[in-house]
Amino acid sequence: MSPETTRRQLLKGVALGAGGTLLQPILSQLEAHASGDARPSPRRVVFVVQSNGMNPEHITPTGIQPPTERGNRRPNNDTLFERPLRDVELPAPITALTPFKNRLTLIRGLSGRIALSDHSANHGALGCYPANRGPMGQTIDLALGDALPGMFRHVGLGIMNRADQTMNYSLSAAGPGRTAPIQCSPELAFRGLFGSVVGGNSRQAFDRRTNLLDFMADDVRRSRDALAGEERQRLDPYLEAFETLRDRQGEIGRLQGRMRQHAPDLSERFRRPTETNRLEAQFEIAAAALIVGLTNVVTLTSGGGGQHYISFPELGIPVDGHHYGHGGGVTNMTYEQCFVAVRQYHCRLIAELARKLQKVREGDGTMLDNTVIVYLSDSGDGHHPSLYEWPMVVLGSLGGRMRTAGRFLQFPRYGARGHRTTANLYLTMLHAAGRPRDRFGVPDPGLRDLDQNGTIQELLA
Amino acid sequence: MRPLFLTTALLAFWPTTGISGEKKTVTVDADAFAETAAFLRSHCVKCHGAAKKSGGIRLDDLTTDVAKDMERWIAVRDQVRDGLMPPPKEPRPENIQSRKLVAWVSAQTGIKAAALPNQGNLIPHELLFGKPATIGEAPLGRLWRLSAESYLGFIRSMGKVPTDKIIQPFTMVPERGIKDFAGLYTIDEPSTEILIRNAELMVEAMAGHEIKEGIVKGKNGSVREFVVLMDPKLEPSRQQLKTAVRQMFKLAVGRPPADADVPRFLGLYDKCAKIGDRPGAVKTMLQAVLLRSDAMFRSELGQGKVDGGRRMLSGHELAIAVSLALGDRRETGLMNAAQKDALTSKDQVAEHVRRILDDPKNEKTRILKFFREYFEYGKAIDIFKEKPKTFVHAPQVLVSDTDRLILHILDADKDVLREMLTTERSFANYSLNKNKKGEGPKPAVTLNPINNKGQKAPEFVYGFEKWPDTQPATLPKNQRLGILMQPSWLIAHATNFDNDPVRRGRWIRERLLGGTVPDLPIGVVAQVPDDKHRTFRDRLQVTRDAKCWKCHRMMDDLGLPFEQFDHFGLFRNVEQVEDVDATAKNVDKKGKSLGPVMKPAPLDTTGTITDSGDTKLDGDVADPRTMVRRLGDSERVRQVFVRHAFRFFLGRNETLSDAKTLQDVDRAYVASGGSFKALVTALLTSDSFVYRSASSQTSSKGASR
Repeated sequence: MSPETTRRQLLKGVALGAGGTLLQPILSQLEAHASGDARPSPRRVVFVVQSNGMNPEHITPTGIQPPTERGNRRPNNDTLFERPLRDVELPAPITALTPFKNRLTLIRGLSGRIALSDHSANHGALGCYPANRGPMGQTIDLALGDALPGMFRHVGLGIMNRADQTMNYSLSAAGPGRTAPIQCSPELAFRGLFGSVVGGNSRQAFDRRTNLLDFMADDVRRSRDALAGEERQRLDPYLEAFETLRDRQGEIGRLQGRMRQHAPDLSERFRRPTETNRLEAQFEIAAAALIVGLTNVVTLTSGGGGQHYISFPELGIPVDGHHYGHGGGVTNMTYEQCFVAVRQYHCRLIAELARKLQKVREGDGTMLDNTVIVYLSDSGDGHHPSLYEWPMVVLGSLGGRMRTAGRFLQFPRYGARGHRTTANLYLTMLHAAGRPRDRFGVPDPGLRDLDQNGTIQELLA
Repeated sequence: MRPLFLTTALLAFWPTTGISGEKKTVTVDADAFAETAAFLRSHCVKCHGAAKKSGGIRLDDLTTDVAKDMERWIAVRDQVRDGLMPPPKEPRPENIQSRKLVAWVSAQTGIKAAALPNQGNLIPHELLFGKPATIGEAPLGRLWRLSAESYLGFIRSMGKVPTDKIIQPFTMVPERGIKDFAGLYTIDEPSTEILIRNAELMVEAMAGHEIKEGIVKGKNGSVREFVVLMDPKLEPSRQQLKTAVRQMFKLAVGRPPADADVPRFLGLYDKCAKIGDRPGAVKTMLQAVLLRSDAMFRSELGQGKVDGGRRMLSGHELAIAVSLALGDRRETGLMNAAQKDALTSKDQVAEHVRRILDDPKNEKTRILKFFREYFEYGKAIDIFKEKPKTFVHAPQVLVSDTDRLILHILDADKDVLREMLTTERSFANYSLNKNKKGEGPKPAVTLNPINNKGQKAPEFVYGFEKWPDTQPATLPKNQRLGILMQPSWLIAHATNFDNDPVRRGRWIRERLLGGTVPDLPIGVVAQVPDDKHRTFRDRLQVTRDAKCWKCHRMMDDLGLPFEQFDHFGLFRNVEQVEDVDATAKNVDKKGKSLGPVMKPAPLDTTGTITDSGDTKLDGDVADPRTMVRRLGDSERVRQVFVRHAFRFFLGRNETLSDAKTLQDVDRAYVASGGSFKALVTALLTSDSFVYRSASSQTSSKGASR
C-alpha cells in the first residue's frame, strides 16, 4: 500500500467521520423526538436584519426612561442601566413580541462606529468592521454557523427591492474577501433546501445535481490517479468536497419524510411574488429548515446592504424606505408612521417564527428554548445612523446560555468605562455557542482607551 | 532511525525529505553530518540533555531522520542562525561552525520546512549567492490552483458572464508579503459549493437564448454550439453534443478533450436527460467541464521533451504558466504558439515574454501586484485612523500615488530597484483624467472652497503646499526619498495611533537584507507604554530589555530613522509630546479637562544597520535618506530583491537547487542596467521555471490528462 493511499484512506475516514458527526445530531434528534429521549438538543441562531435603521425609541418601553442626552438622544449613562420588562408594556412598534416578553432583552447603548456609513454598514453590520471595504472578515452569522454546524452551516434568506434580484451579497461573509450569499428568491431557496421532496422541475434539478456531483467525484478521481506524490494529495480535498456534497444529497434524501411533513406549501406565494409574499415565504422556509434540521443558523434579511430598501404596497407604503427615511410620508401616513408600520410587520413575522419553534417539542422543552433570534438593522440606529448605539432585540436564551429573560439594558455611553460594542455582543454569542474568541472584527479607533475585547458578562447565564 | 550519537558511519545513504516532501534516497555528506553532531555535543547537550532538559527541550535524542524530528531540527537551526543560542554566558561557536550547521539542516529540511510566505529567507543568502552555482536538481512537477484574480480572469475569458453575480470562491492567505504560493492552496468543500453555483451562472450566460415563435435564438455573447441545444423539443444528435463538449473544453481548459473523455461527458448528459428536461441535461454536462480539475488547477508536471534527468514543461503547460505569470488569463499568442508546437525552447518563451512586456496595451496589473506584495504599501488602507483636522487623510489616494510612481519607474525600466528606493520624485494626490476631452491629470481629491475650513488636500502630506500640476513632481529637498518614505508605505507600517519602527525595521531586515526575525513568542504581550509625554523612540526603550533585544536588535534600529515622519507620513523636525503640567492646568471652570496640551521634543532620526551580511552596509546612519541610499547601492539588497521576485513569479520559496537560476537572473538584471523586464524574462526562461524533475511524471497511463 503506497503512503498516498494510506493518507487518502485516512483523510477519507476523517471526512466520513466529520460527516458522521455532522449528521448524527440530526438523526439522533429525530430519534429522540420519537422516543421522548432527553439528550442535549442543538442550539440555533436566527438573525433578522431589516434595512433603514432601527430608531432606539422603537425598542424603548414608555414606562422606562433611560438617561439620554438632550437633542441627539444618545445614551449618557456612566453605568449599566437595567430595568425588567415585567411591569411595562412593549412599545407599539414591537408590540407583536409581547407573548415572548419573558424571553426578550431589548438592548441599547452598544456602539458600532467602526462600521459607520450612510445607509448601510453592509458586511460591517454583522462583521464589526468598516462598511465600505467589502467583506473584510467573517461575519457573526457565518462564525456561529461554524460553531453550530448543521447539514447546511448557514442559510441566508431574504428579499431585495425587485423579485428578479435573486441574491444579496452585501451582508454576510464567510471570511476575508468571501461573501456569503443571501438567497433572495424564495422559490430558488425552497428548491435548494426542499427540492428533493417536491415534484416537477425542482426534483429534476435536485437529481441533476446528484448526477453532477457523482460525475465530478469520478472525474476528479481520474485526474488525481494520474498524478504522483504530493500533487495527488493536492486534489484530495477537491475530490472529497464532491464526495461530501454527494453524500449530503443522500442524507437530504433520507430526511424526506420529515421534510415532506414540514415543507410549507408556498405555491400561492410563488405565484404572486409581492414583497410581503416573498418575505413571508422566506420566514416560512427558515422555520421549516430549522425544524427539519437542515441548518442551525439562519440570516433573514429584508432589504439591506448598499441602497436596498423595500417598498411595502400591501402595508399602504408604495414607496421605498429611502423616501420615508428622508422624512417623506405617504397618503394618510407620516414618515414615522411608515417606519412604525414596517417595524410592526417585521415583528409579527418574528413572533410567528418564534411561535412555530415553540410548537416543536425538544428534550424537556421546545425548540424555541434552544434558539436565539437577534433582530437588528444593517443601518444601526437610523436611516443615516450615528452608530453611537446599535439597537438590538434579542429573543431567546440559546438553550439557557444567555440571560435574556425580560430585560431592558442600556450600556454605558460611548467612551465611558464599561461601554460595550456590537462586537462584544457577538463575542458573547460565540461564547454561548461554545466557540469563544477574544476579539471580533476591527476595533473602533474612537474607543482606543477602552478594552474592546471579550464578552458581555451581563448577558451570559 | 539511530540516535544522533551512536554513529555517523552508516549515513552514506539514508532517506530524507526532498523539495516537496517525497521520500527519496540521497547521498549525504557524512563529514558534514559529523560536524553537525559535534556542534550539538559541544554547544547544546550540556543544557539540553537527558538530565537538565533546559526549557523542557532535549536534543541528545535527536535522530538523523530530519523529517521525523523536523520541528526540533528547525528550532536548532533558527536559534543558531539568529544568534539566540548558545546563550551569551556560554562559549561562542565559531561563525563558520554555526554557518555549516545552518546550511546542513537547511539542506536536509528542504522547502518543506519553509513552504510559507516570509519563510523564504530561511535559506542563508550565502548558500545561494556565495559561490558560482552549477545546474541544480529540477523541481518536482506540481499543480497550482488558480488565484482569486486568475479565477476572475477565467470567468471573463468565457464571454459575457455577468461577473457581478459571481462569488469569489478562492481566498489567499492573510500573511504578509507574497501570497500566491502553489503549495498553499487547494479547493475545499465551501469553495466547491461556490464553484458549482458559479458554473451554473456561467453556463446560463453562455447558453443564453430566447425562444420566439418556437425558434431558439442566441443572446449577445452566447456560444452558438450551446444555444442550438437549448430547444426543448430537439433531441440533440451525438455529434452536436460532442461539438458542445469540445467547445467547452477549448474555452475552459484551453485544449481539446482526450478522445476517451468525450463519451463520459455524453454519459452524464444521457443520465440527466433520462430524468427529463434535455436543455437542463446539456447545461449539467457543460458545467462539469467548467469544474474539471485541469480548469481550476494549472498543471506544471513537465510533460514536454526529456533533457537528461529532467523534462521541460509542455507547450500547453508553458503557455498557461507564462500567461498567468504575467496576467490573469490565458494569453492568445501563447496559446496559439503552443497549439502550433512553437513553444518548445527557452528562446521561444523569451520572445513571447518580451512581446507581452513590451505591449503598451498590457496593463501591468500583475507586475504591479508583485511590487504591492513586496513593499506592502497597500495596507495603508487597512490602518484606520482618526480623521486629522488640518489635512485630508485619503489612504486610497496615497496608495494609488505609489502605484503610479512604481509604474512610472517601470516605464523607464532603468536601475529599477535603486530608483524605487531613492527616487526624489513622487506623484501626489494624482488622478488621471479619463474624460474624452483630452484634459490632463487632476487632483484625486479636491476640497470644496466654500465649506473648507482651512483643511489641506492630500498633497500636503508629501510636503506640497500647492498641487503640482506636473507629476511626478520633485519632492521638497532633504525630506523624503523613494517608496519607503511614501506616505502610503509609512502608514502601512504604522499603527492606528503611532509609528511602528519595529515593523518598518522588520520589513527592511527581511525584504532588503534577506534576514529573518522569529515571530513574537506565544504569550508575550508586546506593548509600547502609552506615555504621551515621551517621544516614541524613548517609549520603545522597553525592547532593549535583554530578553526582547535578542530579536528586536534585528529590527528597531532599522526602523527608527523613519521617526523623521509622523504616523500619517508627514515630514517633521520635532516630535510633539504631551506637556503634562500644561495639560493638568488646561481645564474649564468646573475643573473638566479641555484636552491635552502638546509641546515639541527634539527629534532623533539616527539608526544602525547591523548583521546585514555585507560589511559595506553595516554602520550607523544619520537619517532615513542616508540609510535608503546606502541600501540602494548594495549588491546584497539587489540579490534579495531578486529572491523575492523569484518567489512571486515561481509561486514558491527558493531552494538550494535554484542557486543558478537566482544568479543568472541577477546577472541579467545587472547586465541590462537594472531592467525589470530583463529580470522577469530571465526568471520565466530559467531552469527553475521551465524544467521539472523527470521522476515526477504521471503514475498511470491512459487516465485523462
